[in-house]
Amino acid sequence: MVFPTVQFAVFFPIVLALSWALMRRQGVWKPFMLAASYVFYAAANPLFCVMIAAVTLGNQACALLIHRSEDARVRKQIVVLAVTLNLATLGVFKYYGFFATEINGLLDRAGLGLPLPLAAIALPVGISFIIFQAISYTVDVYRRLITPAATIDVALYLSFFPHLVAGPIVRAREFIPQLQSPRDPRKVAVGAGVALILIGLVKKVAIADFLAREIVDPVFGVPQAYAAPDVLLASYAYAVQIFCDFSGYTDIAIGLALLLGFVFPQNFDRPYRAASFGEFWRRWHITLSRFLRDFLYIPLGGNRGGKWKTIRNLMITMVLGGLWHGAAWGFVLWGAIHGTALVVEHQFRGRVRLPRWLGWLLVFHIVVLAWIPFRAPDLGLAGAYLARFADWGPATLWTAPVVIVTFLVIALQVAPAKPMDALRVRFERLHPVALGASMATVILLVAATVSSQGVPPFIYFSF
Amino acid sequence: MSTVERDPFILDRPTGRRLRARDAIAVVFIAALLLLLLQGESIRSTGEKMDPGWQRTLVLAVGVPAGWLADRLPIADAVDDVTAFLSPDDELTGAGGFNAAPAAGPAAAAGGGTGGGASAPITTDAFDPTELGVKTAKLPALKTLLVTGDSLAQPIDVQLARRLARDGVQTVRDAHLGTGISKTDIVDWGVLSTQQAKERKPEAVVMFMGANEGFPFPGAGGKSIQCCDPEWAVVYATRARRMMDTYRRDGAARVYWLTLPLPRAKSGQAIARAVNAAIAVAAQPFRSHVRVLDMTSVFTPGGRFRAAQDIGGRATIVRRPDGIHLNDAGSNVAMGIVLERLRADFAKLGS
Repeated sequence: MVFPTVQFAVFFPIVLALSWALMRRQGVWKPFMLAASYVFYAAANPLFCVMIAAVTLGNQACALLIHRSEDARVRKQIVVLAVTLNLATLGVFKYYGFFATEINGLLDRAGLGLPLPLAAIALPVGISFIIFQAISYTVDVYRRLITPAATIDVALYLSFFPHLVAGPIVRAREFIPQLQSPRDPRKVAVGAGVALILIGLVKKVAIADFLAREIVDPVFGVPQAYAAPDVLLASYAYAVQIFCDFSGYTDIAIGLALLLGFVFPQNFDRPYRAASFGEFWRRWHITLSRFLRDFLYIPLGGNRGGKWKTIRNLMITMVLGGLWHGAAWGFVLWGAIHGTALVVEHQFRGRVRLPRWLGWLLVFHIVVLAWIPFRAPDLGLAGAYLARFADWGPATLWTAPVVIVTFLVIALQVAPAKPMDALRVRFERLHPVALGASMATVILLVAATVSSQGVPPFIYFSF
Repeated sequence: MSTVERDPFILDRPTGRRLRARDAIAVVFIAALLLLLLQGESIRSTGEKMDPGWQRTLVLAVGVPAGWLADRLPIADAVDDVTAFLSPDDELTGAGGFNAAPAAGPAAAAGGGTGGGASAPITTDAFDPTELGVKTAKLPALKTLLVTGDSLAQPIDVQLARRLARDGVQTVRDAHLGTGISKTDIVDWGVLSTQQAKERKPEAVVMFMGANEGFPFPGAGGKSIQCCDPEWAVVYATRARRMMDTYRRDGAARVYWLTLPLPRAKSGQAIARAVNAAIAVAAQPFRSHVRVLDMTSVFTPGGRFRAAQDIGGRATIVRRPDGIHLNDAGSNVAMGIVLERLRADFAKLGS
């Protein structure tokens, strides 16, 4: 089920009302919310629920065994097994086809006729988010940062529908404590929740989908048909589209959770105002950044092993971070570009000091450039896209709405946050009736911009 | 469960004042109520367009009474008028609609046109000269290609556009997801095909559609014609024939209509077989201009579904996991077949 749909608009009010009605009776509330989350997930494909249930039970079994064992060696073996099983699940669903094709190609070129079997495997929506959260639970139990929770709490943590399909990647130690006692019905951040839901809807439907339709999809689809001005605008527009699409989803997710009484971590903090790559990754997909930091970069040794080990660790982390998005060389290249930029930045730290505006200009444009292989269907087309920058032909897609929307979103990220924040805080203080009327008005206007094809899926659904 | 450590910076406390849970419910229900009053008709029609299942039932449970209410309030139309300027869709009005009131018989249910009634004269248009071994002049140049249909038309549309861009052919990609010839509630392909042919005047049209077929057609006396017996195929073929006639523009254009590779699901296979049979019959009077490109035997030889097949000596997945659509590799195969026919029909690809 996708947030900006009629189905969800019918589903959510029912779940919200029942959730608060049952909140004091946790023995009933938890199974209810679990069932609601599974219904939400089953809308995509009921079989996916089997996968999420298996991941839940497998990780809970490992967490309990780790907790009960005092033998460090046994604990380590179990956590390695759990992480391996989680990654194997991810690998089968997400990467098998990619690697089988690549390996078969290599074997074929080497004249070895032992191809891996091929299978068209359906990718469960949001599997990467689910698996990363499962790993965070089991590893945090292993690290003794948390103790195992009740199985139903773990099931709810992994399947809670607001974050189920595209994050944010909520850590077990952030979410499970919130399940320990009923949410306080006297302290619900209603205004903040509604504001986030509406901002998210506008970002996704009115901005991201608009730019996709008007410029990004045509140009990235057939770059050969466009000249440099269109390709240039499409590059900026895609940077805006992916930000609005993904941050729009997480805004809605965080807002829905607030209405249900839960707090999720922030996932974006105006990333395109970053003046360094380190800053960019503290502002973009924050929950993935910290996951990669805590579960990959630091365990690899972080920056503690000298210059070359730091470079190695940064590159491994960023390339795997790229691969996390999907099985394609474009994602690997995207990760490698960011990894290289972080390495260069790390090496020159303290030696070269750029004015902030110049740092911003450089970082922003490298980020925009890195989005090209990320978005292009394959590396060949990414190359074809880049080649079009050399053809300074006519601009055919530069319409006023596209240009204004693209540069307005970028400008709002760079501009001081205070005026917008003040506006949001004023909105959050509105009377509930005014909030409800505002919600209806914004939904009405946003819905009017949806084409007869419906709302396209969020980009990160396929990750 | 105990927390040993927290990341205090992560869980930013939300700003704004705290209200009660019942305020949260009130806000959502006020918004929902307003939307039901203002958009009830749209909620109902969304539900009606959905595939059968619990989600449709849920939406219709709300949408039907909301639609009933909205029909009786003048405000919904006013809101639609006010917000119409925001809609990205081209207005789909004009001639050629399938939704004419059904008279008697399946052909009439198809919205009239060729095919029903008295026996039509057979003309030379019914013969593909190449099949007769007759040499004919090719069309001079392909400048505009329209690739259209439902979701099946993707990604072949973009692949053709990329391939032909280097020749200077302008490819118009116009896929309408979730639509079908037997499903006129989202898009009436009778109207759409007329509009496409009139506005774009393509010299060639590639049509790949059929992922959303199998819906009943309105029949005589309020009865509906269910898929997939010959009566249903008659209506489907009649509608498809009208579209073919529209696209071929009296011989000024060539139409490449792709048949359906059989889907994995048995229920879908019955529909695909009916659609394929109907396409073959529909094209008969226009064989000189309409090419029926057989994807069925290419992707499902022997009538058996398979996800992978041999391409260039290597087993390659050609279908998407849904068991209906072609993936990039499969679509590439289909594109090769289309290109071969385009080259046979046009003296030059591009201006």
